[in-house]
Amino acid sequence: MMTRAPLALALLALLASADPAGAQAKPRPRPAPQSRSIQIGGYAMFGQFNFAAIDTFDAVLGRTSGPIFGGGATVGLPFGGLFVDIGAWRFKQDGERVIVVNNEVFPLGIPLTVTIIPVEYTAGWKFLRGRSRLVPYVGAGMTSFGYKETSTFAGAGEDVEDRFNGYHVMGGIEFKVMRWLGVGGEFAWTTIPDSIGTGGVSETFNETDLGGTSFRARITIGR
Amino acid sequence: MVVTVVAVLGVFTAIGQGQGGQAMPISRQMIQEAALPPIDRGLRDQDPARAARTSGPGLRARADRTGATLPYVRGSVIVKFKPGTARSAVSMATSQVAGVMAADRSSFADFDIVDVPMESDVEQAAELLRARPDVEYAQPRYLNHAMTRPNDPLYTNQWNFPAIDMERAWDIQPGATSDIIVAVLDSGVAFRSGTIRYNSRFSFQMTRNGPTYPALGTVDVPFSAAPELGATGSTRFVAPHDFIWDDDLPVDLDSHGTHVTGTIGQLTNNGVGVAGMAYNVRIMPVKIIQGLWDEIFDSPNSGTDDVVARGIRYSADNGAKVINLSIGRSEGGPAPVVTAAIRDAIGRGVFVAVASGNTKDNGNQPNRLGDGATGIDGMMVVGAVGRGLEAAYYSTTSGSVEIAAPGGDQRAGGSSAGILQQTLDLDLLETYDRPVSQYGPPRADSFAYYYFQGTSMATPHVSGFAALLMQQGITNPAAVEAAIKQFATDKGATGRDDTFGFGLINPRATLRGLGIAK
Repeated sequence: MMTRAPLALALLALLASADPAGAQAKPRPRPAPQSRSIQIGGYAMFGQFNFAAIDTFDAVLGRTSGPIFGGGATVGLPFGGLFVDIGAWRFKQDGERVIVVNNEVFPLGIPLTVTIIPVEYTAGWKFLRGRSRLVPYVGAGMTSFGYKETSTFAGAGEDVEDRFNGYHVMGGIEFKVMRWLGVGGEFAWTTIPDSIGTGGVSETFNETDLGGTSFRARITIGR
Repeated sequence: MVVTVVAVLGVFTAIGQGQGGQAMPISRQMIQEAALPPIDRGLRDQDPARAARTSGPGLRARADRTGATLPYVRGSVIVKFKPGTARSAVSMATSQVAGVMAADRSSFADFDIVDVPMESDVEQAAELLRARPDVEYAQPRYLNHAMTRPNDPLYTNQWNFPAIDMERAWDIQPGATSDIIVAVLDSGVAFRSGTIRYNSRFSFQMTRNGPTYPALGTVDVPFSAAPELGATGSTRFVAPHDFIWDDDLPVDLDSHGTHVTGTIGQLTNNGVGVAGMAYNVRIMPVKIIQGLWDEIFDSPNSGTDDVVARGIRYSADNGAKVINLSIGRSEGGPAPVVTAAIRDAIGRGVFVAVASGNTKDNGNQPNRLGDGATGIDGMMVVGAVGRGLEAAYYSTTSGSVEIAAPGGDQRAGGSSAGILQQTLDLDLLETYDRPVSQYGPPRADSFAYYYFQGTSMATPHVSGFAALLMQQGITNPAAVEAAIKQFATDKGATGRDDTFGFGLINPRATLRGLGIAK
C-alpha cells in the first residue's frame, strides 16, 4: 500500500529534474502566459498500474502490474493554477482461476479476464512559474472504479461486473513543447477500499483494495 | 507367506500357504481365458430386501471347523520392529509370546507376521510386544470387510450426481483421463472374462443352528468384465492383483467392489446404463477383502489389516494416484500397520479415501482404518448423506470424519435413495441365500443395476472427485484434501463436525476454483 511519503518523493523527483529548455541558449517557443481565462485541453495517457493486492493478482494473473491506456480532459480555471480534470483509463489482462492451499497456488487452466476502467475526477493546482515551460501540478479526487472479471464455465451471477468508489492523489509535471502541446509524467496513488476480499483469492489473502499506484505519461493538446 | 504363481500353457494356478500357516492344495485355476458375453439383466427393483451389512460377511460356522466369528485371525500377529533391532532381540520378543517369526516377509510389507499358538489371545500377545522398546507397533490381524448396506433396488435415477452438481463439474473436468489411476481396494472387480475352477470342500451354515449347505466339490465359475466398466483386455484396468488368492485375478465374488468401482469410473456418455464420477480414469483392481464365496472356496487369505496394508503399498508401487478404501472394521483396536501404509502411500503422491463406517444406529463404532485421519493430510474419512443431503442414518460419526458425500439413505428416502450402479447379478451370485435344495455354484458373468447404500458408496464419490482434481493439476494429496475441504458445503454445526466433517463435497465449485473477487 502506498502512502503519501512515496508520493511526495516522486513528485520532488519530477520537480527536481533539470529544466532542459532553461539550459539551452536557443530561442524557445514563448510559453503560454498565465491567464485568468478558462483553459481547456485534452490528453492521452499510457503507463503502468501496480496493484496493491499483490498476492491476489499475482496468483490469478501471474503478475502484479500491467499496462494502462486512457485519456481525459482538463480545464484550467481562472483562479491561479486551479484546474479540474476528468480522466479514464483501461487495464485488461488474462489469467486463470486457481486454488490456493497453504499459500501455494494451483492454476486450474480455466481462463479468466480482468478488465478495469476507472474514471478519475480530480481537482488540483498547477504551479505556474513565470515563463517556464515546466509546470508541476498536484491533485486529488474521487475514483469511480469499474471492475469486471469474467471466466469460462461461469454460471449466472458468477462473473463480476461492479463499480466501486475510492479516491486518489496524484502529482506530475508537464513540459510545454509548444503552446498547444505538452508532454508530461505523473504518479498517482489510488485506493478503493473494501472492493474485494469477500470472495475469491482476495479473501484467501485477506486483500481488500483494488487500488494501487500508477506511473503515466501524458500528451496534452490544448491550452 | 510364500506365494508362487505358476503359469503353464495359459493356466494360472495359485499355490500358497494360507494365513493359518497350513499348506494349501491348489484351490483355484483359471481354466478358460474366454467366456460367453456377459448377461445384462437390467434394473433389479423387485428383489426382496437384503440384510444390512455392518460387519464381516464371515460364515457363522463351518460344519468341519468350529468357529465363532472373531474380528481377527487366530494364530498370528502383526509386528514391526524398530530399525536396527538385533536378531537376538527379535528372537527374545517372539519367544515372549511363544511365537515364531514367519520365514519370509510378505511382498509389499515393511512389517512381519509372528505366528503364535492358535490358542493364544492375540490381542494380549500384541500388547506384550507393543510394550517392548524395540517394537514400533504390534497388533492382531484384524479382519476388514465391506462398508456397504445393500438394499432393494427400485429406481433408475442416479440422484447422487445432480445432488453434488456433477453435471457442471463435468463441464469443467470431463471425467479425467487415463493418466490417473484409481486403485479400488475391495472385494475385487468384475474386470475380465474367463472361467475359474474352484474347490468347495466343506459344508457350512449361514446361521447358527441353520441348515447346512453341502460342499459342492469342483465348480467352474464363469466370469465377465462388467459391461459398464470396460471390456476384458481393454486398457481400462491396470496392474490387477489379488491378495486374497495371491495371484493377479482379483475377480469379484461379492458385488461390492464392482459397485464401488462403478461410482468411481462407470463408463459415461456411452448411451448405456449409468454414470461414474471420473469416467475416463484407469482402474487398478486390488482384492484385499473376501466375499462369502471366497470363504466357501477356502481362499488362502482373508482381509486382515496386514493384507490391507500390503494392498495399499502395492497400489502406490504400481502407480495409483488415488486409493479407495470402502472397507474397514469397527471391531478391535487401532490399525497402525494400515496407518503406516497410508502415510507411505501419501508420501508417494497418493490420495486415500476411507469410509467412516455404517454403525451410527448400532453402537456408532468408527472404522478403525480411519483412525487419525484428521492429522494426516492426504487421507480423508468419508461420511454419507442421503438424497435429502442430511446425514444417513447409518453413517458413523466420529472425530475422524472429514467430509461427506452421497451414500444413500433408504430408510429416509425409500429404495431409490440408494446409490445406483451396475454390479454382479445377486440372484445368480448369492445362491447361498436360497434354500439348501437350490444352493449351487455362483455365476459372475451376469450383471444388473442395484441400489446400494453405505459409506462404502459415499467414499468412491470422494475418490472420483480426487481423481478429477488431480487431472486438473492438483497432484499433491495434501492439497487435494485441502481443496476438497475449502470448497465443501458446510453442513451441520458451523465448521468441522463429527457427522459431516467439513461438509458435503462440492466438486463443481472446487474444480472451478477462485478468481480475484469470486
